[in-house]
Amino acid sequence: MKLANLFSVRKVLSFLLVLSVVYATYSIYYKVKYWGFSLSPKQVTDIWTIDAKVSFDAMGEDVRVSLGVPADNESFKVLSEEIVAKNYDVVRDKAKNRLVMQGRKKEGKQKLYYRLNIYDDVQNNAINKNKPAKVERPLLSEEEQIQMNKLWELAKNQDGDKVQGVIAAVNQEMMEPTMSLVLPLNHTSKEFAEKIIQILAYKRIPARIARALKLEEGKKNDSLSIMLEAYVDNKWTLYDLSTAKIGLPKNWVVFQRGGVSLLDVRGGENSKVMFSVLKSVATPLKMAEHRAKANNELWGYEYSIYTLPLMEQNALKWLMIFPLAILVVVIMRNVIGVTTMGTFTPMLLAMSLVKTGFVPGLICFSVMIGLGLIMRALVARLNLLLVPRISFVVIFVILLIQVLAIIGYKLNYGIISSAIFFPIIITAWIIERASITWEEEGAMNTLKEIFYTLVTAVVTYFVISSEYVRHIMFAFNELNLVVLFIVMLLGTYTGYRLTELSRFAPLIRKGE
Amino acid sequence: MFEWFKTAKLLRENGVLGMNDRNYSVISKCNKRSLYTLVDDKVKTKRLANSICINTPKMIGIIEYQFQVKNLLEIVKGYKTFVIKPAHGSGGKGVLVIKDYDGEKFYSASGDVLSFNDVYQHISNTLSGLFSLGGKYDVALIEEAVIFSDVFKNFSYHGVPDVRVIVYKGYPAMAMMRLATKESGGRANLHQGAVGVGLDVRTGRTLNAVMHNKPITVHPDTGANLMDLKVPFWREHLIIGALAYDMTGLGYLGADIVLDKNRGPMMLEINARPGLAIQIANGRGLKTRLEEIEESYPKELSAEQRVDFVLNNGK
Ligand SMILES: Nc1ncnc2c1ncn2[C@@H]1O[C@H](COP(=O)(O)OP(=O)(O)O)[C@@H](O)[C@H]1O
Ligand SMILES: [Mg+2]
Repeated sequence: MKLANLFSVRKVLSFLLVLSVVYATYSIYYKVKYWGFSLSPKQVTDIWTIDAKVSFDAMGEDVRVSLGVPADNESFKVLSEEIVAKNYDVVRDKAKNRLVMQGRKKEGKQKLYYRLNIYDDVQNNAINKNKPAKVERPLLSEEEQIQMNKLWELAKNQDGDKVQGVIAAVNQEMMEPTMSLVLPLNHTSKEFAEKIIQILAYKRIPARIARALKLEEGKKNDSLSIMLEAYVDNKWTLYDLSTAKIGLPKNWVVFQRGGVSLLDVRGGENSKVMFSVLKSVATPLKMAEHRAKANNELWGYEYSIYTLPLMEQNALKWLMIFPLAILVVVIMRNVIGVTTMGTFTPMLLAMSLVKTGFVPGLICFSVMIGLGLIMRALVARLNLLLVPRISFVVIFVILLIQVLAIIGYKLNYGIISSAIFFPIIITAWIIERASITWEEEGAMNTLKEIFYTLVTAVVTYFVISSEYVRHIMFAFNELNLVVLFIVMLLGTYTGYRLTELSRFAPLIRKGE
Repeated sequence: MFEWFKTAKLLRENGVLGMNDRNYSVISKCNKRSLYTLVDDKVKTKRLANSICINTPKMIGIIEYQFQVKNLLEIVKGYKTFVIKPAHGSGGKGVLVIKDYDGEKFYSASGDVLSFNDVYQHISNTLSGLFSLGGKYDVALIEEAVIFSDVFKNFSYHGVPDVRVIVYKGYPAMAMMRLATKESGGRANLHQGAVGVGLDVRTGRTLNAVMHNKPITVHPDTGANLMDLKVPFWREHLIIGALAYDMTGLGYLGADIVLDKNRGPMMLEINARPGLAIQIANGRGLKTRLEEIEESYPKELSAEQRVDFVLNNGK
């Protein structure tokens, strides 16, 4: 094999194309994974806003309020936190996951707010793995022991693991007088949970209370639900106290775990904490920075186009679609083999169609070209010089657009006024070019050329007007690199154009 | 879809050269871009041709600026006929052939009667670039009109038949004659309905004739039998083509040649991107011919030797 062959343009380009595909694939994977980009433009991220309102009556002394808050990346990612506590010193106790607010000599009704914005379900295994201390077996009387064993007997017959069995058994035997000593007396969930912890402790299974909030749109003044967390198979697992279901249900967030109270107020009374929940949505693009930060991938993000001001981003979003439009034109011309007026006229036309809407744009464009051609034919007799003549057409088109805009406005008919969005230069140029072709090559050829230009524009339009395509080309802009190499590779395409197949068909000699 | 691949395969087997292949494998490899200016400017081409004794219509003058337009009559003084054409024109655009004129009236070859003002306008348009590629400013070339030989009289309706020779690396590869028809309006453009007659490069005789891509045997307007066509001075035609290669260095070119009654074959223009319709006129693919020349034709021959090589060996 000749060396030159090895390095032929086509091979180099094919290689680069493969490289760019590999790069784009990785990059798409990266963006989806670390920045949370999605392939669909419609996908949105739910952002939950949790408001915890702490209120109490201060008694004129120094006040210390301690509130349990979710651990970092507990089951959601934290977008932002906000604390409204005027004249209080706020300290975050990271180790215990508590918020401590201290104030001097407070009196009267006090209101403190803690607001948390979270997004994205996550699984934080680190929290689940914290090894608990060894559990002391509770000291039980003989009677209690008998009842305890009986309960465990019952628990064994239940479905699921030991803890599930215990929860189910307790739920079932709630009214059983023969086991009243180990069953919860009153039916608050806290008491219920504590009893179960005790039952589990009998078998040295570590367990604790967890307080969690169900995220529901529009929830107001709610309190936390109590769940049970037990250390089974070397990890902490959550259990629902009434259904015995395993795991934290979707859209729940754990605020606090262990025996300590959720809210602890020193120097005040009648303290309570109420939760409200609000849901809002954001596009993945908006969330990308937070996600990148959360994943420690901020570096790449900061040098991406998504950090630009919105206006620039919108302009770029528009630009990013051009390569694809160009690809369409290249394919139409070099692979299909239609002749269009000018190389990129169809592309620009398609862009205008996106702005005007498809049908209105086409109608308006046809009217403009039609009227323009008639005017051009009329002035042809005046034998103006070339530049003034083209200028005439441009000015005429501008006037035409004006008239159409006024008519469209007066008749309240958007179709007509969409004329404004057609680039005049392009329109004028098409008219000029069409009328010259008309003179030189006849009406048929002109109409053919206009027709093919429109067909190419329409195909381009359908590609670029798709919300999906636009989103993908912007969010995964590395695809443009792939498009680039495809276009370049098409530049080495030496096969027949589709239209040539019929053009040269007479050259196929049969029987040879 | 499958049908398409089959057709493409058959075309390839028949050595048909496609547009993409022409542009990529032939033109971009054989024709250096910088050489294009030699043939895109008809004034340059003519001067170059004269310098190596290729016969072309005699240049009468050039009009470069608007203010010179009014001197037209002085420029053409002493010539009975003349042709005005844009130096950068193509496809016959803006070519005005004046058969006869007096001070006021100009009689064009297509039968129109023009006033001086019309001709003046025509030249102005030419200068402003109406007929040239990309609408750039242009100059008007004024040359003597060819007195067409009568041999083809019956073969063409009005317009003038011309011979197109495709020259590859200096060797005439394929040839055709274009005959105007009523439908083509006296023009020799195949896509406008002119007749294309494929000529055997060795003999200058008809191989095949087409109109609108369909084979025909008689001229639709004159009824002449196209199979009888034989171009006289065939060797001289080919020599012009071969010399055009020496003169321009273009590895792939199309030379347009007309036959003058008195002065013999004359080169009208050279095309650096000759079209592919010639294959249809010849009923055979060009690629096979190009490969043949590339692979087995001797490299270091003079123009005349190359022509003789083709005349004796070519297929
Ligand atoms: N000197 C001439 N005498 C007569 N007819 C001419 C002359 N020059 C050009 N023509 C006519 O005009 C046509 C186009 O001229 P040509 O020089 O080939 O210009 P273009 O580049 O526009 O094709 C020719 O095919 C021929 O019919
Ligand atoms: Mg020509």
